[in-house]
Amino acid sequence: MKQLLDQKPIVLLLSALLLGGLFILPLVITSPALMQIIILIVLYAYLTSTWNFVGGFAGVLPLGHSAFIGIGAYTSTVLMQTFGLSPWFGMIIGGLLAAMVGAAIGLPTLKLRGAYFALATIAIGEGMRVLFENVKQVGPFKINGPSGISLKLVESSFMDFQFDSKAPYYYIILIMLLLVLLLTYFMMNSKVGYYLAAGGEEPEAAEALGIKVARYKLIAMVISCFLAALGGTFYAQLMLYFYPKSILGLDLSFEIAFIALIGGRGTILGPVLGALLLRPVSELTRIYLGASLPGLHLIIFGLVLIMVMRYYPAGIVEPIRNLINKYIIEPFNKEKKSAEGSEADKAD
Amino acid sequence: MSLLEVTKVTKKFSGLVAVNEFSMTVEAGQIVGVIGPNGAGKTTLFNCIAGAFPPTSGSIIFNGQEVAGKKPYEICQFGITRTFQVVKPFASKSVLYNTMVGAFAQTQHLHEAEHIAIEVLQFLGLDHKKDIVSKSLTLPERKRLELARALATKPKLLLLDEVMAGLRPVEVTEMLPIIRKINETGVTIVIVEHIMQAIMNLSEKIYVVNFGKKIAEGDPDTVVADEEVIKAYLGDEYVVTQH
Ligand SMILES: Nc1ncnc2c1ncn2[C@@H]1O[C@H](COP(=O)(O)OP(=O)(O)OP(=O)(O)O)[C@@H](O)[C@H]1O
Ligand SMILES: [Mg+2]
Repeated sequence: MKQLLDQKPIVLLLSALLLGGLFILPLVITSPALMQIIILIVLYAYLTSTWNFVGGFAGVLPLGHSAFIGIGAYTSTVLMQTFGLSPWFGMIIGGLLAAMVGAAIGLPTLKLRGAYFALATIAIGEGMRVLFENVKQVGPFKINGPSGISLKLVESSFMDFQFDSKAPYYYIILIMLLLVLLLTYFMMNSKVGYYLAAGGEEPEAAEALGIKVARYKLIAMVISCFLAALGGTFYAQLMLYFYPKSILGLDLSFEIAFIALIGGRGTILGPVLGALLLRPVSELTRIYLGASLPGLHLIIFGLVLIMVMRYYPAGIVEPIRNLINKYIIEPFNKEKKSAEGSEADKAD
Repeated sequence: MSLLEVTKVTKKFSGLVAVNEFSMTVEAGQIVGVIGPNGAGKTTLFNCIAGAFPPTSGSIIFNGQEVAGKKPYEICQFGITRTFQVVKPFASKSVLYNTMVGAFAQTQHLHEAEHIAIEVLQFLGLDHKKDIVSKSLTLPERKRLELARALATKPKLLLLDEVMAGLRPVEVTEMLPIIRKINETGVTIVIVEHIMQAIMNLSEKIYVVNFGKKIAEGDPDTVVADEEVIKAYLGDEYVVTQH
């Protein structure tokens, strides 16, 4: 914590202003449709940040993360529909389930390198979708195959995780995002973070320095899957309707990976910047061209990715960081220095 | 009891015998040299000791414990750390970050790891480069970073695989006292090197390998006078690398 506050005052001030702005946003924006778009930006930033634990730090490219988001959505929803359990508890149970599935998948696949891991996760993600599309019912739980689940509508209440207005959803996902970013920050500045990065970059050298690389990757996978599933529950409560294609398909997995790569994987702000850039593109193409050209947004993402990788292989977080340094932090430092300088003059 | 006892270690790669019934003993506190022509099996021997792969047969006893076939991270935790002849820095990370990864073998805390890493970098004269991304280092600097990272784990036994290769003669002369100083802090060292001047100068005892087999062992002067050794090296790269 000390480290976090140990930043330059200008950075702290700007962060505080930005945070303040984020928290009063629902007071300024009255259109529910616009609010929904903003909520989805924050949700995708959240989902990509959970992906980042594996995809950003463990040196592999997961392309099936929708599997865990789907587990979260289905678990909390069927528990609520069947037993009336509050989605908040269902969320935790879904998270734990996703963490276990993630561990079971991670054990064999995290040993795979590069394209092999990516392919294995695609297969698992798609397999999960097909599985859910072919299951109508598991014991007492209604899954409904390809037609999906519509959530029972209840009166707006926190315990039931349903609200009349968009603002509560916004605050919930915003807080979830901030917590995950904080967790990312602490992880990056800890032994686990150093070991993960080392194992991801040069596994042989990492092992020679005493790091059980597979174990650290598995830790990252379990954390990532747990958190991704929480996002799944949020998605279900926000949309009140979901089906295998919407929450388990490759579309979602790919969009997350695109956001991460374009924003900057392995950085704290990369997923946020990526979501800010790509989500609107995705919304607009879906609104205006969704009927005639479905999937067009993925093609656009591909083109953006090519452009970004060409000039900023580390993602757009890189030029943005440089801009902030150049126009905000440096001028401020200079001012401060000259102020100190003039004081020193007086002392003479 | 010796610190390291390698007994009849053999490593085969689908037919090729890279290390052939090799035995050696290293006493605590020694600097031991291993020399031999290119492809003799020196790196393979290190790989077996450090656990990169298990030996096909033979025993490796470290500190009284059998370590043959153990994983590299276990071996490191027992107290053996190696450097790589083909350097493997965490390329996108700074020199300090690289060294801290090693230092975390000793501590859980970020600040302590940083403290240890800075000390090691100062010791090796690399601290002025601490914020440089390691992929922009020169080869000799990368070799030194290999050494820094390994040293930061605080090993009992350090396996150095050609950390002086590519250095200019002046730089080699600078490295010698550094390696001796590491040894004086209580670290036992096994060193593979083609630069005779360095090996002769540092080693208490030298093993000579050719085609995976030990062809001579003893103190430096005895070894270089050995007929088989001269034969193995006649007209070989030693003459070239001696400058
Ligand atoms: N992983 C491997 N798979 C197959 N063959 C290998 C492997 N590693 C080494 N070898 C072979 O084993 C032999 C010994 O190689 P090694 O790298 O141990 O030699 P070296 O003494 O370290 O040589 P140099 O002085 O050039 O570093 C060589 O013929 C090499 O081609
Ligand atoms: Mg070698």
